[in-house]
Amino acid sequence: MNLKCVIVEDLQVAADYLAKCCEKCGQIEVQAHFTNVPDALVYLNQHAVDLLFLDVEMPGATGFELLDQLAYFPKVVLTTSKSEYAYDAFEYKVTDFLKKPFTYQRFLESLQKLTAGAPEGNVANGTATDHIFIKSEGKLVRLNNDDILYIESMGDYVKFVTGDKKFITHNTIKNLEEKVNRQCFIKVHRSYIINITKIDDIRENDLFIKGNEIPISKAHRGEVMKRLNII
Amino acid sequence: MSQSTLSKHFIFNEKLNSDYLFSLYADDYPYIEEVFSVTLQHFDEDADAIQNAYAAGSVADLKKGVHKMKPAFGFVGLTDIQQCCAEFEDACGRIAETAELKADYKQLMATLDEGKLILEAEYRKLKDFNANSL
Repeated sequence: MNLKCVIVEDLQVAADYLAKCCEKCGQIEVQAHFTNVPDALVYLNQHAVDLLFLDVEMPGATGFELLDQLAYFPKVVLTTSKSEYAYDAFEYKVTDFLKKPFTYQRFLESLQKLTAGAPEGNVANGTATDHIFIKSEGKLVRLNNDDILYIESMGDYVKFVTGDKKFITHNTIKNLEEKVNRQCFIKVHRSYIINITKIDDIRENDLFIKGNEIPISKAHRGEVMKRLNII
Repeated sequence: MSQSTLSKHFIFNEKLNSDYLFSLYADDYPYIEEVFSVTLQHFDEDADAIQNAYAAGSVADLKKGVHKMKPAFGFVGLTDIQQCCAEFEDACGRIAETAELKADYKQLMATLDEGKLILEAEYRKLKDFNANSL
């Protein structure tokens, strides 16, 4: 497996060291390095990567703010010199937490966590199947991607909306971002993932699917517009 | 960065934590030279950011500036200075105005200056060592 990664780190010596570790291990290809969040976001929303090595405190915005604005959810390894972000790291489901400076051995341990259970191929593409199974009302229900119109957050639950049914299951939008087929689905708002093939029309900051009005957040609008076949 | 062969041919200044450097880079002296060089290239800019933050009375920026420099000292083996930065950063979290840290700030800047001098000297020595080892 060769993971495509981006390093977002404002300390040059730390970024260089990380790049050297990636090169040495032979399993991680560094696509780019950014020293601030805004530049990184522009790149990341145009180039899907498998992995982000992400500092937390940087000029302009934090690493967590970058994750909030990213239109997809790559694997993340936080690189920071503070341990106090451990709780946030857990909340954002990051794979590992490297406290700077770290040894090459510690980097390899992180790599093990990254590759453990990872599917072959490009993990940035999400799950490539044409269906998903969800737990609903005590049973596993198969939903074909093509039948799902959109998915809406309801706190600790999400609602899957199809043409004629609604299914509520215990899950989060953040978690589903990683699980759904990203060819079909896109996050348009912190509370909504939509099936991009089902959009009827878009008016200003909302899109419509079979009469359902769904907001598009400012953070996700650029990525949504890029994915549309506008001629 | 292999840890299998720790051949300590270069004798670092006693103020540098040589064991820590070996844990990071083993005996990859050309790379250590590069680390020192990159750190020195950014040193003044980062130290200026701290000075500017203090002069502007911004506790948040002061904390950020010290936070950024802290691991850089770790990467070059100046672990005592890294610890000083950590303590100063923690102190920033407990105060409302930079003036409350006046004495600590002066001490920190003196420590940073000393660190830079040590680093410059070690960089020159290491550069010569690497040039003569090739």
